[in-house]
Amino acid sequence: MSARERFRRILDRLLAASGTERALISLASLVLAIAVGTVIILVAGRMTTCETAAFWLTHPRPLGVPELFRVGFCYDPVTVYDRLFLGALDDPLSGNWSPLDGQFAVTLRETTVLVFTGLSVALAFRAGVFNIGTQGQMVVGALATALAVLWVAPLFSGVVGTLVLVPFGLLVGAVGGGLYGAVPGALKAYADANEVITTIMLNFIATGIVLYLVSEVFKDPDSLANQTVSLPDYALFPVVLFGEQFGVSVLALLVALAAVVAVYYLLEHTPFGYDIRASGLQPAAAEYGGVDAARTVVASMTLSGALGGLAGAVYVLMILGNFQTGVPAYGFDGITVAILAGNNPLGVTVAAFLFGVLKSGTTVVQFATDVPPQLVGVLRGLIILFVAMPEFFRLLGRRIAGPERESEREATVATDGGHDTEHRAPETRDGSGGGPRR
Amino acid sequence: MSERMWRPGDLDLGRRGIVGVVSALAVLVLGVLTLAAPESAAGTLGGAVFNSGTLASALRLSVPIALAAVGGIFAEKSGVINIGLEGLLIISAFGAVYAMDVVDNLWVAFLAGVLVSTVLAGLFAVVCIEFRADQIIAGLAVWLIALGLAPFASQVVYGAPNTDSVRTPPTAADVLGPVPVVGDVQSALAAIPVAGALFDANVVVYLTFLVVGLSWHTLYRTRFGQWVQASGENPKALDTAGVNVSRVRYAAVLLSGVLSGLGGASLSLTLGQFTGNGPTMVNGKGFIAIVAYLFGNYNPIGAFLSTLLFAGLDALQIALQLQDVGVPNQLIRVTPFVMVIVVLALVGRTRLPAAAGDHYESGEE
Repeated sequence: MSARERFRRILDRLLAASGTERALISLASLVLAIAVGTVIILVAGRMTTCETAAFWLTHPRPLGVPELFRVGFCYDPVTVYDRLFLGALDDPLSGNWSPLDGQFAVTLRETTVLVFTGLSVALAFRAGVFNIGTQGQMVVGALATALAVLWVAPLFSGVVGTLVLVPFGLLVGAVGGGLYGAVPGALKAYADANEVITTIMLNFIATGIVLYLVSEVFKDPDSLANQTVSLPDYALFPVVLFGEQFGVSVLALLVALAAVVAVYYLLEHTPFGYDIRASGLQPAAAEYGGVDAARTVVASMTLSGALGGLAGAVYVLMILGNFQTGVPAYGFDGITVAILAGNNPLGVTVAAFLFGVLKSGTTVVQFATDVPPQLVGVLRGLIILFVAMPEFFRLLGRRIAGPERESEREATVATDGGHDTEHRAPETRDGSGGGPRR
Repeated sequence: MSERMWRPGDLDLGRRGIVGVVSALAVLVLGVLTLAAPESAAGTLGGAVFNSGTLASALRLSVPIALAAVGGIFAEKSGVINIGLEGLLIISAFGAVYAMDVVDNLWVAFLAGVLVSTVLAGLFAVVCIEFRADQIIAGLAVWLIALGLAPFASQVVYGAPNTDSVRTPPTAADVLGPVPVVGDVQSALAAIPVAGALFDANVVVYLTFLVVGLSWHTLYRTRFGQWVQASGENPKALDTAGVNVSRVRYAAVLLSGVLSGLGGASLSLTLGQFTGNGPTMVNGKGFIAIVAYLFGNYNPIGAFLSTLLFAGLDALQIALQLQDVGVPNQLIRVTPFVMVIVVLALVGRTRLPAAAGDHYESGEE
């Protein structure tokens, strides 16, 4: 039982779900995660102490029935989710919606970085490789970008500087992240080292080495924080449309969307993309068909790392303006984004926006309530857990669809959610196919 | 697959043996160099290696890793790869300190840690076994849920990602000291130069020894252990023999929750605090545990020995940080992670249980 076979079966299962069904499962997972999140908020609201309760839970009291009980909670889940979603979108329902100078800009800023990390994880996944190391690749890419641009910046100035330095910075970030991603790729391809473990270890190593470099070697001498000197303004993504203070650039968002199209085209319309998909789906068959499995693993991890590195470059050139240690967990969010999107590059855009809302909404929630910001981290894990169990939602769907369909289980399996009987075949085969199980 | 020449439970040699022999030789050479030239660089390193403080902290550091690793062995042997050990350690580390803070009773604190970890492991088991989720993704979800939930809860209760300080479990000296003769023997043993640390450790260290021994016995010498192995190697045969494969897998995954819970509780209680910043105080120990049992070839004793290797390295880097060796501390700190990658690359593909990662569906529907 090789790891690759396992990936093949996951991908089989993911592909078996038709597009509609997958979108429904992602949506249902989100709803379920929010429901569980509500319970967590309520429980947490009982564990902490507050002057006055923010939320009361009581029974309905029609026609003057006296109140029998009333439970107070320190956190109000309705406010939390209202702020989380509507707050992140700058209250589109309030009448005078001005998306250009408010929280919506922050949402787009987060979305831009998440598109890159989501693409990074999704691309590796399509090749049958779990890249948990996007975070580390992003950190390496970010530092490489900051240092290289700092070094070259004095040679340029003004508009020319922007035209040269921004693409240069992106390139350096991609190369840095790509090289760092190639390491676990090569370890997997040539030494059979499990990439889940190596990439997680490389995340720790990247954080440690970068902390050393930034605190000891490249530290801004005038700053107490572990950060480099600021890059000159002309070396950063120019601000168009949105206010300066939000750190969002439409141009960077366009680069992100271009990356989406590029990855989609690469996967669907090039021979190399075919190799990647084939190795992800049927590694044995792919190898038989002449795909160099080791080379494909290294190449896809390198590309995946390059996308992670691009995320780091954009983070530096758009948001920070220099490099600081303590890069937020965009890489781990990228895992959720990719899984929510079913590893489809186009879906990544939607999932990244959704997660951009969650991340940007977190700060609004922090202003409006006392609920700790780590809540979004919990939701992130819950969403992954629920998307990973499509069978749960199928069972649920069957339960709702009615017991009369229960008897013809096979037929139900083939029809619920999707109409694509042919694609559903691997699903029904699941219990009987593959190796020594039956 | 079945060409098993060694007795079940024996350690196999090969690349593992080579790594072990090389490490042993390195320690030996270092010992000689330390005695011969205490002022040289090797002497400094040797001084750190043979400091009894280093062994003491190696033992302390190996507790959570070894317990999680042994738990992971049961889960994976039964056919469920539990990559969420890190999450189980995180959640139990917080749960134990919180319970300790509330009731100030060590038994309750350990129980609470074990309980939260087992509940989370149970959720993981249901998702994997009942709803046929992919085990790797579900395991990552367990990790990420705990990574969010523990600091969240700490923030709710203590207003910060770090909890308040609590009382720590006793050491051997605390327990045995007051006993007439035994106490004297203990302090005499503890005074032995390097190995003395073995006799003056925290009680959780002895708990770990006990768990490792018992787990070895359970896995290789009991009926349940046979079921666990069969469930991972040949679930069909186990099913035919009339044993419920799902039930065995549930038991094994829950057991991994119990043992990781003990590990997480030991980790935070011995330090007297849960720290939840960044990767939390667990800081990759759950993932190192996975590599430890892969390197130990799924044998609890092997896993414990490889844990000692990683924990020893970690203890060494902590000791070296205190001395000025010319290498910056931030770089010394990453050595255990580098070592994990090196070991993984050397050992290469380990022989997974044949049905690990597979969903098994019984014939009866």
